[in-house]
Amino acid sequence: MKKKFFRIFLPFLLSMIAHFTTYAQNKIVKGTVTDDKNAPVIGASIGVKGTVIGTSTNEAGAFTLSVPAGADSIVVSMVGFKRKVVAITGSTVNIQLESSSTGLEEVVVVGYGTQKKADLTAPISTVNTENMLKRTTASPMEALQGSVPGVQVVTSGAPGSSPNVRIRGVGSFNNENPLYVVDGMFVNDISFLNPNDIADMSILKDASGAAIYGVRAANGVVLITTKKGKTNMKTRVTYNGYVGVQKPTHVLKMANGQQYTAFSLQRGSVADTGTVLLSSRKYGGSGLNPTTSTDWYDVILRKSALLTNHGIDVQGGSDKVTYSMGLNYTYQDGILNALNNFKRYNGRLQLEARAFPWLKVGFSAIFNNSVTFSPNNSAFLDAYTASPLFPVYDSTNVNAFPVKFTAPSVIGRSDDKNPMASAYYNYDRSKAFQILPTLYAEAGFWENKITFRSQLSQIYGSLLGTKYRPQMNAGPGAGSTVSHLTSIQERTTNYILDNLLTYRDGKGAHHWSILLGQSTREERWRQTRTEADNVPNVEESWYTGQGTPNAAYYGENGTRNAGLSYFTRATYDFDNKYLLTATFRADGSSKYQTKWGYFPSVGLGWVLSKEAFMKNQRIFDFLKLRGSWGQLGNDGVNANAGYAIVKTGNSTSAVFGSTAGANGEYVPGYSVNRFFTDISWEVVTEWDGGVDFEMFKGKLKGSVDYYNRKTTRAAFYRPFPFTYTTIYGNWADMQNSGWDIALNWNDKIGQVGYSIGANLSTLKNKVTNLGTLPSSTSGFPEWTAEFPNRILVGEPINYFYGYEFTGVYQTQQEINSDPVAVHYNQTSSSPIVPGFPKYKDQNGDGVLDDKDRINMGSYLPKITYGFNIGLTYKQFDFSIAFQGVSGNKIFNLNRGRLYKASTSLNLDEKFASSLWTGPGSTNAYPSAYALGQGWFKVSNSFFVESGAYLRIQNIQLGYNFNVGKKSPIGMRVFATADRPFLFTRYNGFTPEVGTNTGGGYPVSGYDANVYPVSSTYSLGVRATF
Amino acid sequence: MKSYISILFLIILLSSGCSKFLDRPLENQPQATTIDYTDLSLMYQPVSGVYRTAASGTFGKWISVAIRSVHSDDVVPGNDDAGQNAIHNFQNDVTVKSYWGINDMWISMYSVVLGANSALAELDKFGKNIPANDAEKNKLLAKYQAEVRFYRALAHFWLCRNYGPVPILGIESNDPANLGGVTKSSVEEVKKHVISEMDFCIANLEDARPNAATHIGAVTKYTALMLKAKAAMDLAGNNNGSPYWDVVLDCTNQIVNSGKFSLFADYYQLFKKPGKLCDEAILELQYSDFGKSTGDIVISGGPGEEWGNFFFFQGPENTYSPVITGPGWMVPSQKAVDFLTARNDSIRLKTTIQYCGINGDPATYSVTPDGDTISGNASRKKYFNGKAYSPRSQMTPDRIDYYGANNNVRIMRYAEVLLMNAEAKIRKGQSGDAEVNQVRNRVKLAAIANVTLQQLLDERHAELICEWWGERFNDLVRTDQAATVLPGFIKGQSEYIPIPQAQEDVNPRLK
Repeated sequence: MKKKFFRIFLPFLLSMIAHFTTYAQNKIVKGTVTDDKNAPVIGASIGVKGTVIGTSTNEAGAFTLSVPAGADSIVVSMVGFKRKVVAITGSTVNIQLESSSTGLEEVVVVGYGTQKKADLTAPISTVNTENMLKRTTASPMEALQGSVPGVQVVTSGAPGSSPNVRIRGVGSFNNENPLYVVDGMFVNDISFLNPNDIADMSILKDASGAAIYGVRAANGVVLITTKKGKTNMKTRVTYNGYVGVQKPTHVLKMANGQQYTAFSLQRGSVADTGTVLLSSRKYGGSGLNPTTSTDWYDVILRKSALLTNHGIDVQGGSDKVTYSMGLNYTYQDGILNALNNFKRYNGRLQLEARAFPWLKVGFSAIFNNSVTFSPNNSAFLDAYTASPLFPVYDSTNVNAFPVKFTAPSVIGRSDDKNPMASAYYNYDRSKAFQILPTLYAEAGFWENKITFRSQLSQIYGSLLGTKYRPQMNAGPGAGSTVSHLTSIQERTTNYILDNLLTYRDGKGAHHWSILLGQSTREERWRQTRTEADNVPNVEESWYTGQGTPNAAYYGENGTRNAGLSYFTRATYDFDNKYLLTATFRADGSSKYQTKWGYFPSVGLGWVLSKEAFMKNQRIFDFLKLRGSWGQLGNDGVNANAGYAIVKTGNSTSAVFGSTAGANGEYVPGYSVNRFFTDISWEVVTEWDGGVDFEMFKGKLKGSVDYYNRKTTRAAFYRPFPFTYTTIYGNWADMQNSGWDIALNWNDKIGQVGYSIGANLSTLKNKVTNLGTLPSSTSGFPEWTAEFPNRILVGEPINYFYGYEFTGVYQTQQEINSDPVAVHYNQTSSSPIVPGFPKYKDQNGDGVLDDKDRINMGSYLPKITYGFNIGLTYKQFDFSIAFQGVSGNKIFNLNRGRLYKASTSLNLDEKFASSLWTGPGSTNAYPSAYALGQGWFKVSNSFFVESGAYLRIQNIQLGYNFNVGKKSPIGMRVFATADRPFLFTRYNGFTPEVGTNTGGGYPVSGYDANVYPVSSTYSLGVRATF
Repeated sequence: MKSYISILFLIILLSSGCSKFLDRPLENQPQATTIDYTDLSLMYQPVSGVYRTAASGTFGKWISVAIRSVHSDDVVPGNDDAGQNAIHNFQNDVTVKSYWGINDMWISMYSVVLGANSALAELDKFGKNIPANDAEKNKLLAKYQAEVRFYRALAHFWLCRNYGPVPILGIESNDPANLGGVTKSSVEEVKKHVISEMDFCIANLEDARPNAATHIGAVTKYTALMLKAKAAMDLAGNNNGSPYWDVVLDCTNQIVNSGKFSLFADYYQLFKKPGKLCDEAILELQYSDFGKSTGDIVISGGPGEEWGNFFFFQGPENTYSPVITGPGWMVPSQKAVDFLTARNDSIRLKTTIQYCGINGDPATYSVTPDGDTISGNASRKKYFNGKAYSPRSQMTPDRIDYYGANNNVRIMRYAEVLLMNAEAKIRKGQSGDAEVNQVRNRVKLAAIANVTLQQLLDERHAELICEWWGERFNDLVRTDQAATVLPGFIKGQSEYIPIPQAQEDVNPRLK
């Protein structure tokens, strides 16, 4: 082994020494870089061709560079200018750059490397980080909503929640979110990042771009590079801050006391009437006219909540060392009127040193420290369902302590909770710390034609969660619940070790590159939970040892996965005209019984505008046709044991000997879950055809793509008869196809510059194979039997399944002449009367049965779009961004709650005021009485509403000016309104309905959301010097 | 150039070092294969697992108990739940079919079947390590198998009584691939299956009263005899000439003649803590809070399912106490109260009927025989089920949640054995007086002579009134009285609740 090592290592050492000698004799080249108006170009990068040697120009546009003796030319590049290669003819080289309006010279970050935009064969969207910063969102992905074609961002409005991101539809029943790669590290979510830390962001949408990430890439890949300094850069300090207020908007108006009373009395049960009577007896009013009318949302919501963010950022570099550093503070107060807020400190440090002319070493780290006080989210639900007929506080509730909240049971609402009490008796703090360090070394050989990069990226995360509930009594009876402490500790340690060898060369009009890579990764997570009762209500005593422990109050959990990958990419182009990219990745994963998967891709491009026959036309400045094909994997599929799992401990042990005189004891027991199946990742096969163009001297830019993604072996929790145990397996195939279109127009009229951008994506989803399964029904947890969704070949996945609501029976004659109603009334103890809903007898057999159920719609939008308008005038700028979706349905589960309710839950004001009250009153809403009766209680399209909406996402007005003369500070002040307006007909808090994973499996489109969305109005400053 | 190739080698060498890197079992999910099947001292563990499955989240889960209870005229839902109301009124239409409760009950019951089948496979693995000549160990294995098979049969029995023709799932159901295509067996087939299973159980179970069993409260030979008798009674129906009455008589005679069982003297306390696993108990689900006011507890709900607590959901909506309180489901019907009152059945009345204030008026309160104060309620429900009433004085001191914690759920009692024995005798033309009067004597009712079938059925109704397992409804159906006694009952239509739509949707062969 030792010998072998030397055999390999020795040549390596020798080659190093060889490089030292090569670079021993250098000469100095000086010069300036100017633009076409002879103004100095600041920050242009200067590189010696074929090496990694380089610098950048100072504020006078000047540079000094030490050039090896053999070097013949230098390369100058700068964003907004055409790249220029200049021969080294003497010791002074002055260069004039030609401005480029196309941006095609722009270098785009691709997987494990970079490519010029013009040379791409894949539809890769780069994100305008400048526009992203305009949005005052806590997480970066929210800031992208509506701005990238093919990327659907669904935000929930709940404080501190991460958005759902879907790239090109849903190719998986599992994790829909893309892979995020932050400086080489794989993460599932980038909410921990501050938008201000991001230098570049690319979104790899198709197989040709993403296949290099193999088994992780099926949902697309978002590549993020954090800010870095440049060599010989004058220190630049940027401050960015804003202060804003969040205001709950679109708060759904619930029925008030009077409306609720009317609804309850018409609903007609003894309990409903009893509640009304008790309310007026206890809290005012007379008989059936109580005067109490509590607006619970008004009670539990703050009128406005603070949101503020301050960041400072330093970048710079000498000839050998570059650095950047950032500090950021974010504070967001929750809109719930109780202890809930979010505080985050971010630190970022990046350092890169040219240790030797041929070797760069670098380090970067992102530190996060956050404290989150989570609200008790059930307070929002309690506010939705609670009767308005009881007040918040009740001084006659003598047994209640520490606070005399009203006990809803005194008006007979034993299922209700006092929403304010739910919000108040909650202490849920998570302190989290995360560090994401990256270490790398990059060596360049053979005039930099070959580079070797080795990078170790890690995540260390820890979390301390504390939940405390004090000793309390909600009343009205005596006796109290003891205090309870839950303490949770978690730690995450992930790492990725990447080794990349890149060879880039060319001869004449031929250019090629080859990347060989290898990657090893491990993901480990561990959790410890301890609990205790009777812990004193002082924070210093919040240790489980201070209370009463219990055997059931301790638990540990953990996961551990490993991956090993080999990958390669080859690119070739002839004269930048004919382009070819091919990638291949072999991925090994410990999560599955099948260990290895292979993911190829190929992309072709033809730059038509470079052809001779396009020479004389004036319309297209640039025109490229692209086509790609590839396969991707999705290991968002849950790990599966692939063996029977045994459960032991108290939960599987029976008690014996529980007799009159004895408490009984556990006899140790176990149970075995043998329902498993071998599982592997999902495979997406995608092809994409597209065109990129620039027209009218760069005024119009755009791209159009058609894509077709087929997911095979899609894994989901297949329900089986007889059990709630679903079996997770690769049961289905499905297909997503559609168009992505992006257009941008930029021009100037006089002194007014304007831009109009629009993007639009269409999506068609359908299940193509379900194996031997005829169909599969599932649904929202706990509502699967009432409101199922269904998977059927040829239909979109998980469509809402039920009866078609066609109107309301207005008269008894109408009922008597409808065979469906007549048949039902023959045996029903609660017959159909006027005001009851009508369902369509689809097969016309005169009986409503299971065969009459239909596809009531899909949660997937057919169209997702966004558009924005920007205006600049002198030092002012103004922008407005819109986004929306259409063609999707939402299952309004909040209204659906009435279905299971045994008493009259409160309902929304629109519902309460639209109820059927007599013949001809309405054909769209049933009567209050009908809501309590069996006939209403079948899954039907009354609950299915259109989810289309258009929202003004962001409006910003900015003013730019300089302070000081000598070294001016560039200032920008801006006023922003985020999410100020929403246009929708949907009867809920927000038409953006995310994915629920509460049941252990993801389910979309059911709206159980009871949080209002907040708008943010803020003022901000940015200063740069 | 050679040096670069060397570097490449180096990389490959570094990276392809360990082939075991990807071989990792799931964390914290122990493999069943790690169980040491040669250690026969572990052999009871899968059996204990089945007892727990049967005790928590399944047989005693609130919704399945509620549906079985309201499927009669003894108990009304108590709350405004359209599904339960429809079942209470013997409806059998599209709204009942998609009612979540019947799906949950179906799954609860079959969970016990599937759990039992899984445990049987475990026992087989232990069995392979028992030498053929080790008679003692083989006997133990058969006993354990019999305990598991009893619970599996009980689940099938109850499923069949409620849903009619249902699939019988044997050990082949351990392979989930077999679940999607199973077909139904007829009611007769299921009941016969239960009888043959009980024959195995009777032969192999312990010959002891359950409270004297090795594992106190486990099922024994007598539990199996009683289930066999019940299955036979259903098959015999209203036909006095049916040979199944001989089976009923034989089984119940064996229990009576064993001399191991006796009626618990105090009918009121029988259902409370003092009556736990008394000498009358033939089958109870056992629970405990281990005498502590907080912490680990075993209740009839599944993990974290406080709502599933058997006693809680039948508790009155009481504003006087945070302990004796509940949502007030399953209210004794006025008909039940009137029935007991008309019979002057005062002890059973006192035991079964507890009062919520005065006529349910929320401004009033009543006091139970044990001194607990109970308020009226907004719905003006007058009663709550006294058989599920747990006096505060009997609960673990300081406990203010899990109302009824540490009480067991009574399923089969010796009193019912006596009544079944009497019924078989009466139907065969013999006298059932002795057995009937033994039961009447306990509740201080005067002895009657020449007991008729109807007198016996009334006694059965009174003795088992407001208990939870569907005996009242089943008695009316098997004696062909349902259509006359139960309003809304239509013979040939209302005997069974429908197979849940959600089940048919995942297995069309269940239609």
